[in-house]
Amino acid sequence: MTSTDESGADEVASIALRGRITVHTATPIWKSALETLARNPQRRVIVDASALEYIDSVGIALLFDLVRRERPPGAQVEIRDLAPNLAALVRGYDPKDFVQPGARRPHVGLVEQIGRAAASQLAYLQHLGSFLAQCGTGLRRSLFRGGSMRWGEVLEVATEAGANAVPIVLLVGFLMGVIIAFEIGLVAQKFGAVIFVVNGVGVAMLRELGPLMTAIVFAGRTGAAFAAQLGTQKVNEEVNAISTFGLDPIDFLVLPRLAAAMLVVPLLAVLADVVGLFGGALVMLGFGVGFLQFSVQLLSAVTAGDFLLGIVKAAVFGATIAAVGCERGLSTGAGAISVGLSTTSTVVTSIVLIVVIDGIFTVLTS
Amino acid sequence: MAAQSMQENDTEGVPPVISVRNLRMGYGTRVLLDNVSFEVRRGEIMVILGGSGSGKSSLMKTIIGLYTPMAGDILIGGRSIVSARGEERAQLQRQLGVMYQSGALFGSLNVLENVRFPLDQFSDLTLDEKNLAARMLLQQVEMGYAESLMPGELSGGMLKRAGIARAMALGCSILTLDEPSAGLDPITAANLDRTILSLRENLGFTFVVVTHELQSIFAIADRAVMLDPISRSIIAQGNPAHLRDHSDDPRVQQFFNRRPDASR
Repeated sequence: MTSTDESGADEVASIALRGRITVHTATPIWKSALETLARNPQRRVIVDASALEYIDSVGIALLFDLVRRERPPGAQVEIRDLAPNLAALVRGYDPKDFVQPGARRPHVGLVEQIGRAAASQLAYLQHLGSFLAQCGTGLRRSLFRGGSMRWGEVLEVATEAGANAVPIVLLVGFLMGVIIAFEIGLVAQKFGAVIFVVNGVGVAMLRELGPLMTAIVFAGRTGAAFAAQLGTQKVNEEVNAISTFGLDPIDFLVLPRLAAAMLVVPLLAVLADVVGLFGGALVMLGFGVGFLQFSVQLLSAVTAGDFLLGIVKAAVFGATIAAVGCERGLSTGAGAISVGLSTTSTVVTSIVLIVVIDGIFTVLTS
Repeated sequence: MAAQSMQENDTEGVPPVISVRNLRMGYGTRVLLDNVSFEVRRGEIMVILGGSGSGKSSLMKTIIGLYTPMAGDILIGGRSIVSARGEERAQLQRQLGVMYQSGALFGSLNVLENVRFPLDQFSDLTLDEKNLAARMLLQQVEMGYAESLMPGELSGGMLKRAGIARAMALGCSILTLDEPSAGLDPITAANLDRTILSLRENLGFTFVVVTHELQSIFAIADRAVMLDPISRSIIAQGNPAHLRDHSDDPRVQQFFNRRPDASR
């Protein structure tokens, strides 16, 4: 048992420590000891450690906290009968080393915060632009100027990012077709214009939703994986090892992923288009439009241009996601936490950029 | 006056705090160590040594309860950590402070928060009190100046010293250190050895240290057990200097005298 108490003597208060003071028992003892000091601001305080059996690092901190406090002359705290090695340990700490710095972070106003955030985003976009330019140069060199694109790696990445993503893309694409057809169909039915739902589903799937939903799935699934892979390689200094072999990390790590993404996202978008239209056709059966009628109306409503626009968009989305994922991965700082941040940042940045690029495409092609 | 966490360096006749009895451990069906028995006495610095792949780190991880042995027993303060389950096992594990080879600091916390982490989890001290205790531990390992740095900003030696400070935070009396000197420059390694000796001297810790750094072994170890990957067991046990000077075993002589294999 451990206790603190005050003697009735005029000049001296005492704190008696008994038993064990450990991380598990220190809290009430510490509190009681500090209360004793507070109640006796003008009296000398003796800490009697003669009955102390065991003390751990928290107990040492308690003793040091008692003796380090500034008190008037004649009212100091004195520890008695502490084992010599522990007494030396407590004496070895300098109270000046534990003074808390008073300086706080300067206040930053709202306008300044917005300005700083905008500047940092601008700097990031600049950095991303320069990274994309490097990738473009590397891609040209690899494909046309006798460079060696690592096609084995491209196929490997394409299999993982493309073939393995087929089921989820099929599911999302099918559901998008169903939802669009159903929502538009309910409204069109009121105006007797059910047949034009086919036009809406066709244009929406081929020009917008097919590539867009595929890209969002790709960003969450593969963009994040790119960032995590390259980020871990950066943390493990594998990227440095590649550089010291005289290899360009962009050629070696980024370009295969970029090429694979530009290859598979359009293919996945085609699948999403097909199953989306099929989902729409299934819903239209419920509105009295058969498969044949659906296909005739669809062919009159959409053109090869709509389909190709969607495919081009999907390729651009794929390149954007791969570039963002690889750039975030290669910009990873030290430690596991940085890898996590890079992954999150990849998904958020990719989706924002996809939507912005989609908007630009829409404006340019309308 | 009662013994207040005091320590004598002469550990002859002192009761064991760790007893490893006829231990067999491995991975899957592959036996890595067999028939391993030794004791660590209170206040002793016991070194587990041996070449790469001899099972040093695996033995340490079995002692601290991370791996379950195939046979045998390990007693911590007389209680079996092998058969303990649930809270009893957690209690035994909390008696052992562990510094992992890489420091294993939490990447999202700064150095002070890392050292304070066990106190945050297991004590109801105020934040100021926990900070004071954590700062004093950092001073013990000469890391007071680095409390606000993140683990990613630390060198190898700093990571290890911060790892030791965190291992000490729960007031455990046994510290297990995995390769504390590996990859460090000679000055940093010597400083770390000094830190280990001063912690034993001042706070009475018992140490189990896994290492194959010869200078460090001779600087800190009271006793050593030497593992061998071929015989998969302990081939020598005793004071390292005594083993170097008096052991007849050629494997022990080869290790302490840094001789390459004859066949190469």
